[in-house]
Amino acid sequence: MEKIIIVRYSEIHLKGKNRGYFERALILNMEKSLKGLKHEIRRQSGRYIVEAFEEDEIDNILSKLKKVFGIHSLSIALRVKTDLDEISEAAKRVCIESGNFKVSAHRADKTFALNSMQLNAEIGGRLLSCFNNLTVDVHNPDFIVNIDVRENGTTLVFNEFIKGAGGMPVGTSGRGMLLISGGIDSPVAGHMIAKRGMQIDCIHFHSYPYTNMQARDKVIELAKVLSKYTCGTKLNIISVTHIQEEIHKKCNGEYMVTLLRRFMMRIAENIAKKCGAQCLITGESLGQVASQTVEGMTSSNSVIKDLPVLRPLCGFDKDEIIERSRQIGAYEISIQPYEDCCTVFLPKHPIIKPSISSVMTEEAKLDIESLLKEALSTLEVIDL
Amino acid sequence: MIYLDNAATTKPDGECLKTAEKYLLSEFYNPSALYKGGYGLQCELRETRKNIISLIADFENFELVFTSCGTEADNQALFCGGKRGNVVTTEGEHSAVFSAVSELKQRGIEVRFAKLNSDGSVNIENLLSLIDGKTSLVSVIHVNNETGAINPVNEIAQKVKTKNKFTLFHSDGVQAFGKIPFRLTKDIDLYSVSAHKIGGVKGVGALFKRKNLVIKPFIFGGGQELGLRSGTENIFGIKNFEFAAVKKYKNIKAYYEKALKLNALFREKLDKTLFTEISNINCSPYILCVSAEGLRGETILHDCDDSGLIIGTGSACSSNEKKRYSRVVQACGYNEIVADGILRISFSCENTENEIIEAADILNKKVALRKEKMA
Repeated sequence: MEKIIIVRYSEIHLKGKNRGYFERALILNMEKSLKGLKHEIRRQSGRYIVEAFEEDEIDNILSKLKKVFGIHSLSIALRVKTDLDEISEAAKRVCIESGNFKVSAHRADKTFALNSMQLNAEIGGRLLSCFNNLTVDVHNPDFIVNIDVRENGTTLVFNEFIKGAGGMPVGTSGRGMLLISGGIDSPVAGHMIAKRGMQIDCIHFHSYPYTNMQARDKVIELAKVLSKYTCGTKLNIISVTHIQEEIHKKCNGEYMVTLLRRFMMRIAENIAKKCGAQCLITGESLGQVASQTVEGMTSSNSVIKDLPVLRPLCGFDKDEIIERSRQIGAYEISIQPYEDCCTVFLPKHPIIKPSISSVMTEEAKLDIESLLKEALSTLEVIDL
Repeated sequence: MIYLDNAATTKPDGECLKTAEKYLLSEFYNPSALYKGGYGLQCELRETRKNIISLIADFENFELVFTSCGTEADNQALFCGGKRGNVVTTEGEHSAVFSAVSELKQRGIEVRFAKLNSDGSVNIENLLSLIDGKTSLVSVIHVNNETGAINPVNEIAQKVKTKNKFTLFHSDGVQAFGKIPFRLTKDIDLYSVSAHKIGGVKGVGALFKRKNLVIKPFIFGGGQELGLRSGTENIFGIKNFEFAAVKKYKNIKAYYEKALKLNALFREKLDKTLFTEISNINCSPYILCVSAEGLRGETILHDCDDSGLIIGTGSACSSNEKKRYSRVVQACGYNEIVADGILRISFSCENTENEIIEAADILNKKVALRKEKMA
């Protein structure tokens, strides 16, 4: 009798001839996330079995697999020889000793002597005689003892379906560049797009010495959280200090954020193309702050030459975003008090609905090309 | 690299480290152990307490409780002394006291804050007016850690006792001990100090406690430190603290004079058009607080750091807090713009005049440049 983990995939089963492509990506991602831990992954009729691991690492393995996109559910199961006594022994181990239950047997091996119904009755009877506080309730059981008789002479016994991360395996939907600040929104946006199978690289803009090392470390920590879901990421860090100083010096202060965002988009697109990213991703949510109006988005979008900009949070309320941030484990990091670059030269009254012509007038006061070139020269890449 | 953040921590004194080294390597026994090695250390510790107390007080009147830091000593004083009625403190306290009284407030004790003068010293009249028959404890910082303002704690303690003789008087002496020449009088019940601000290592503090004053233990266990703070004694750290403190007090007046000179030189070299001086000449010469008004102190800190000068912005212990503006400087009556530009330059007698001249030059240049960029 040994403990194994059953991994069931989500949407991949809807795929036709290219299913193999998605499956290979999923296995690769599982292997990446379990790197350094002893284990083996085997495919078994439409699901995967993780086995040969150290039993005291099981929680660690589960928590890593729960972050791999493409997995619908997981179960910790006992694997025994297909033998009634052994199956019954395993059932006793996974059974909770009191409450309502039912046995749900599934027989892939049709040569096994008992059919599913008979197996349900037999194992159920044995459990009842073993535990006095158990009662059978096939309609509303507190828990289910699942018995899966496989074709290879083994049977899997388990009582729980653990929800997986869902979505598609990362890497099957191309590569995107996430603009990540130290806030709550951008990691959530990255997570949502990664869930649909996109490999994510990140870009962060800082304004040292107006911001500090803690702010930078905070972003690294956020990117690390994201990297657990994306099986690694590259964090590109760029200084926009001089750009902010120049805007501050030469332009109308109300346009600080609008103009800065245009620079960020230009830089992000430049680096995205070099990294092979096919789109930009931002954490903008419509109307959340002054720069995230449709006019603000139009202004920042208009400097993008080729790539689409995905804004998965546009329709979300702040509390919905916070909820997701908590779920992915980023919230506690995001709310650390260190400021990111946007707040340093923040005007009291930022322009809310910038018109492209007024933005262009302000921007004309700057030497865009040389500022871009200088900012790009500050690039630092961290592999996470 | 010029280090002018000595109020945050000082460079450990190499000589004292060397002398104390044997308490790590050979005299490593548990001072509570009964064999000779352990007992010997216990006897040494007794002497150490006596030596440290004698530096600033009459050994007959005080006892010493070693702690893990100044913050712990402050917490012990407040949580074990401020038990009922109301507690009076000042708006100029270090977070170690400020956060502890906030917790006392949560536990149902009324906390009253005395106003500050513009240099960060407490307004004594205002403080005394807050004390009544129900005041169980008064806590007044001796030397303000941000502005360097010196509170005459002996005088204040005496006035407090005249108003209510049952009120306990505590002072956080972390920035005063080993720096400002003074003696503790019997009116002071509790006094906190720290080792790493005077050349000792981090991880050691102490609470002076008036003899016969009964307070509750802070940490329960094996009964070390008069039963008030259990835990195996950090013999290396404590001996190192003793050596560092004794060394400081041997020349305390000369060091004080030197700090005065360095401080005056720095002020002289500082471009007056760029800064608002918060500290005045009555403040501790070891601390100089100025504001690069209109700029953010932290930006200048990084600028200087990149040019080989280390200075602070207000309290290093508060830089983890969410609030951006210095609570203490605002309590001195300055607005947010001044409070945002706070820089704390803190000296050590090891600094040289050349360092001071260079440092002032770097600071002037950096602030001028940044002001130009931000104009």
